[in-house]
Amino acid sequence: MNAAPAGKGLGPLLLIAPAAVLIGLFLVLPYLNIVVMSFRMPGQGTPYAPGFTFGNYGKFFADSFYILQVVNTLWIGFLTTFLCLVLGYPVAWQLARGNSAFRAVGYGLVLSPLLVGIVIRSYGWTILLGNNGIINRTLSNWGIIDAPLPLMYNALGIVIALVHVFLPFMILPIMSAIQGIDPSLESAARSLGASKVTSFRRITLPLSLPGIQAGCILVFVLSLSAYVTPSLIGGLRVKTMAVTVVDALIDTFQWPFGSALALMLSITGAVVVVAFGRLTVMKWKV
Amino acid sequence: MTEVSIEKLTKDYGQGPAVNAISIKIAEGEFISLLGPSGCGKTTTLKMIAGFEDATEGAIRFDGSDVVRVPVEKRDIGMVFQNYALFPHMTVEKNLAFGLEMRKVSRAQIREKIAKVLDMVQLAGYAERYPRQLSGGQQQRVALARALVIEPKILLLDEPLANLDAKLREEMRVFIRDLQRRVGITTVYVTHDQAEAMTMSDRVVVMFGGRIAQIGTPSDIYERPASLEVAEFVGQVNIIRGKVNGGIVATAFGDVPVSGNLAEGTELMLALRPEAVELLPAGSGAGVFAKVLSSYYSGSLVDYRLELENGARVNVQAFPRTRFADGERVLVHAPAERFWPLGATA
Repeated sequence: MNAAPAGKGLGPLLLIAPAAVLIGLFLVLPYLNIVVMSFRMPGQGTPYAPGFTFGNYGKFFADSFYILQVVNTLWIGFLTTFLCLVLGYPVAWQLARGNSAFRAVGYGLVLSPLLVGIVIRSYGWTILLGNNGIINRTLSNWGIIDAPLPLMYNALGIVIALVHVFLPFMILPIMSAIQGIDPSLESAARSLGASKVTSFRRITLPLSLPGIQAGCILVFVLSLSAYVTPSLIGGLRVKTMAVTVVDALIDTFQWPFGSALALMLSITGAVVVVAFGRLTVMKWKV
Repeated sequence: MTEVSIEKLTKDYGQGPAVNAISIKIAEGEFISLLGPSGCGKTTTLKMIAGFEDATEGAIRFDGSDVVRVPVEKRDIGMVFQNYALFPHMTVEKNLAFGLEMRKVSRAQIREKIAKVLDMVQLAGYAERYPRQLSGGQQQRVALARALVIEPKILLLDEPLANLDAKLREEMRVFIRDLQRRVGITTVYVTHDQAEAMTMSDRVVVMFGGRIAQIGTPSDIYERPASLEVAEFVGQVNIIRGKVNGGIVATAFGDVPVSGNLAEGTELMLALRPEAVELLPAGSGAGVFAKVLSSYYSGSLVDYRLELENGARVNVQAFPRTRFADGERVLVHAPAERFWPLGATA
């Protein structure tokens, strides 16, 4: 082994080289291509025409349809993230602090959806949520509802399916954050006069914030960019930005405009994530 | 100041009692150590006093009223944990304020009390630091301050010095003891370190296997141990065996008178601490001859391994004023009153 100090010599560079090449070739280059593409002239019968323009962005800002769609996509992202957090936190807590028999089973249950492809799971939801789906049929058989509940082809259906698909990405980071909290901190809070609820609110919850932060960012970003689930469940009626981007690129063959839409989605997502990171900054961490 | 009375306290997790019907009376302001090897029930006892563990049976009384059914947060205890358990997301000031906020103390008073307690633990000026910015010893003092600032009825310490290095540990012993005396708070201290228990405590409770082996002052348990187990746990000891014959046990050191009505011919074990034995150059006075097998010099003391003429081996601890070489013949002498009978051997 070469005992050169870290940061000196070729060793560290060589170690990250394969990943760097991979990311450079298949992420950075295509990304740059998309940025360039978004400034190209729209073509007639061709993906794009020669010359450059700001027109693609002009079209985006001129049409409230696209702005509303970004807002809609963000809303779906927020809602999915929030529901994942609310549903996932207690599960993460149990996985981190519950008895060991439950933990093994619970851990398997949480991970098992990841073993099934996202397309199959989304199809599964269409079977459950459709007007003639299991949920609506059961409810009407029991005489609880007269007309089928609108669960498909709307934002609600998309959120339900996305929450199911992304829940593990919320649970796992929070679980590992809670596992990292010394249980004697809660004991200390109790010894100082805090009830169980207060000790959770003042000690455990803030200390699990790093996990909450990671889980929220993951789920939010995944929700924004989700394509399969929204397109299957939203159908033609509700479209998220990702679906519209693919439509523009593939169905209507507008590469420059599609690129501009994709970039607007990325930028809004990034702004939200950075703002969230700023809001939840933890002074006590290094 | 609070008087604590533990009565027939028992904890059974289902595989036999971890703590078995122990009773201790702790006077107001007294410093009591629970001393024993791991698994002896000392920590379980402390957790029951604190309220983190339910008692299977028995009573814990603070000034006469039983607190066994009172939840931790209502017991009014101050506790220092082995790993300090400082809240990492709070500054020192916030850590100290936590217990006072729970007690609905006014902001102005909180500020006043924190300033006072920080002064007491010599950490004035550290209020804005986060725990990770403090050394181990400083964290330890914050933990103490946090437990004391709420002016609890009793102070409970769970092996608080176990994670400190040797030098700091000795400093903190003195620091904690002085602080406890100044505040005058009834204190229960759990440790497996006999030196710690002896130097700090008014009384030591030695525990083995969930039972109390002996309660006594440090000199009681050291010089007058109740059993061989206690004698061995609290320090080095030589065990000398002999038969009672007319109120006297004949040993290699000479006749040792024993009191009490012991039957003639009873086999007795006598405990003799290594430092109770005097070492003299051969031919300089009274005593019995012995040969130096080996010696270990540790600065202030020398540990000798000796062989008596009857073949028995004895450990002796002496000041290195006169040094004896390995193989040298020496005279050993032990005053009769330093032999402590441990009871009849089975």
